[in-house]
Amino acid sequence: MGNVEKLEALIQGYLKGKIGRRDFVVGGLQLGLSLAVLTRLTAPARAANLMDSAPEAPYESPITQERVAFLKTKPFKGTTINVMVLKTTVGDGLKYHVPHWEEETGGKVNVAEVPIETLHQQIFSDLASGLGRYDAYMTGAWFYGDFFVPKTPYIVEIDKFQADPRHPYWDPDQWLPAMRKLYEWNGKLYGVLFDGDAQALYYRKDIFTDSKNQEKFKDKYGYSLPAPPKTMKELQDAAAFFTGWDWASDGGEGWGLALHAKVNEQGFFHFLSLSAPYVISPDNKYYFFNPQDMKPLINSEGHLRALEDYLKLANAGPREEISWTLGQGWNLFLAGRSAMEPTWGDLPTLAQDPKTSKVKGKMGAAGMPGTTEAFNPITGQWKKYELNQVGNTNGGSWHCVISRNSKKQEATYDFLAFMANKKNAFFNSTNGWTGVQPGMKFEYLPPVGTASLDEFKAQNWDADDAMEYLKGYYSVLSAPVQQEYLRIPGTAEYWHELDVNISAVLGGQMQPKAALDATAAAWEKITQRYGREKQKVLYQASFA
Amino acid sequence: MKAKHVRPGEYGAVFKYVLLLPAVLWVVAFTFVPLIFVIHYSLANYVLGLGITDYVGLENYADVLASDRFWHSIMVTAAYVAISVPIEVVLGFTAAWLVNLGAPWSYGFRTVIGTPLFTMEVAIGYLGVTLFSSQGGLVPAVLGLAGVHVPWLSTAWGGIAAAILLDIWRWTSFVFVIVLAGLAGISSDLYDAAILDARNHWQVMWRLGVPLAWPVTTIAILLRTVECLKVFAIPYALTTGGPGTSTEVFSAMDYLTTVQFFNFGQGSAMGVIFLVMVAALLTVFFKQMRKRLA
Repeated sequence: MGNVEKLEALIQGYLKGKIGRRDFVVGGLQLGLSLAVLTRLTAPARAANLMDSAPEAPYESPITQERVAFLKTKPFKGTTINVMVLKTTVGDGLKYHVPHWEEETGGKVNVAEVPIETLHQQIFSDLASGLGRYDAYMTGAWFYGDFFVPKTPYIVEIDKFQADPRHPYWDPDQWLPAMRKLYEWNGKLYGVLFDGDAQALYYRKDIFTDSKNQEKFKDKYGYSLPAPPKTMKELQDAAAFFTGWDWASDGGEGWGLALHAKVNEQGFFHFLSLSAPYVISPDNKYYFFNPQDMKPLINSEGHLRALEDYLKLANAGPREEISWTLGQGWNLFLAGRSAMEPTWGDLPTLAQDPKTSKVKGKMGAAGMPGTTEAFNPITGQWKKYELNQVGNTNGGSWHCVISRNSKKQEATYDFLAFMANKKNAFFNSTNGWTGVQPGMKFEYLPPVGTASLDEFKAQNWDADDAMEYLKGYYSVLSAPVQQEYLRIPGTAEYWHELDVNISAVLGGQMQPKAALDATAAAWEKITQRYGREKQKVLYQASFA
Repeated sequence: MKAKHVRPGEYGAVFKYVLLLPAVLWVVAFTFVPLIFVIHYSLANYVLGLGITDYVGLENYADVLASDRFWHSIMVTAAYVAISVPIEVVLGFTAAWLVNLGAPWSYGFRTVIGTPLFTMEVAIGYLGVTLFSSQGGLVPAVLGLAGVHVPWLSTAWGGIAAAILLDIWRWTSFVFVIVLAGLAGISSDLYDAAILDARNHWQVMWRLGVPLAWPVTTIAILLRTVECLKVFAIPYALTTGGPGTSTEVFSAMDYLTTVQFFNFGQGSAMGVIFLVMVAALLTVFFKQMRKRLA
């Protein structure tokens, strides 16, 4: 029997339940197949072995027969795992599932909540010291480079766990490609599905389509009010137009655009997303560094124009927003006081809660506006485009990774996979308070995915809002031209330098040119410290 | 029973060293050893996950001294100390004087004024976020009733002012407690005599209380200055150093460099430079104090 026939027999045996997963994997390895390939092969096999639900697992759907049998043994009774999470909505989202997993498996989960300003430090102090107090960490995708600095990475691959049908079922092939990259390193899977961040533009559809507003706008700017704005120029005009008057006709002051721009939080993501089409284009994919010599590109002409325009946009919001955290920025929009907000998918999901939102049923969503001219910092040339729109995966895409120091990796994975199971993942992405956004196909409506509008309505969504949101969000994640996501070692530090200097510009402490030059100088120092050649190799690899 | 006479040098000399040993070990273990490590790291390039990758001589020191951000954080810290410590000393001294007069409300006042001292600074900082927030914060709301709109957390001066107000609330009671102990040690005869000669209690305070309580007040000033130079939790929790780095105090910058980004080399160099600066400042302070007390 040849190898192909042997493999076919192996797969058939596994599909029909004649051999177990272990024998299947061992047999596959003997045939020279890698674990990653075997994982892919087991996925359809597992899918064929799936049930919709089982009484032993009320919180999982679909579920494998092996999982059902496994749960009957209360496999993690007496096992306690410690998980460090971000102290914000995503942390709450994780905590929600803890009692459910404990009920099913008999295990116990301790959750430690850490604020974002100390999360990186807390994770890497635990890892570098070897204390191993935590089995898993909720990480931002930009921490990944730091996990892989030591020879033996700080975190473990999850392929072997993922291939085991005794653990909760979830299918990595459901990821949108742009999102999957953030959970992998060198093609191997390390993160377990949780959050899928991208920044889109949210706007008040009712206000933008109001005939009086359209008339006023046309009188002032000489063209029709764009709903939504498609270019940065249109965005600036619309933001300026809606600033400083009571367009909601409720006696309050209206603003054009809300930001959450507090330094040392996540305000710099606004700039990353809004500046992308000034630099990224079909002709250039490099935003941060020149891949040939790792010299910073951040003070290029394109970045400078983007920052000058960003400053104009910031003037279309309250002065105080430069000290606002995420929640405070969102509150302005949810209270009906801002016409637009470029942010994450939390906003439309939070808008569905009538207790905190005045904008349910009034949401519009779109990809980030583009430019008609972009600067290529590699060639040093500006080039005109009809419309240069750029997608992004900016944000944390917060999810958990398993520590190499953990003595309970299997139980830890089981808990994390439990939250990645379709039933729980869908719940997360449709409930704003979990802070989780959709990165999997099954969370989108056809033809992209398999979700139905009824499923959203069941989670109290307004049908129009859900359609707008999913359409807008998907357009960002699937845009043909995507902004790169920096994941080299020291990314947290690189971004911190950008963050403080952008904030200094918004606060009037620095001029845009000086701020970007200062950022570039600081980035050079960081690159030197980590080693230019090592950084260059990893940076280039991130585009492979 | 006849007591044994111990001659000088027989046991005494050894015994006094034995008694000193724990303190010496403490200082060596928790001051000198860490200091040696800090100096060692300050001469090295450190990378998270790899440790020391190279020795770079005085390069870290040169980088710190050439950094605008470092000098800005020193200026912010100096301004913070220069404003908050004098106000805390004046308020703490005045409150201690009034309580020492034996006013009927003084017992209750002692308890109330001492409360902030038992509150964690980081909690006060986060409380400040709630108090000074532009979205429903108590302070902007109250001032708003009077038509006053202060951009507390969105400007450099507003952020520093808010942090200093919280610092004063937190630390005035510390000065109060120390000065009250000093005032209580002054003989009541001196008060009685002074009251006969003076026009009012304020004159007694200025002419008698301040000079006699000066040594203990100096200690309060010294302790507050040293503590305030290390200020971190209140301003960082309140503004995280922003907008930009406009409210970033030295400790916050050193924390970010060393602890957040694991740049032990540069963070250590920063710490050594700051240590030298503070040591120089305290040397001058002590010299002045000795002159006054001589």
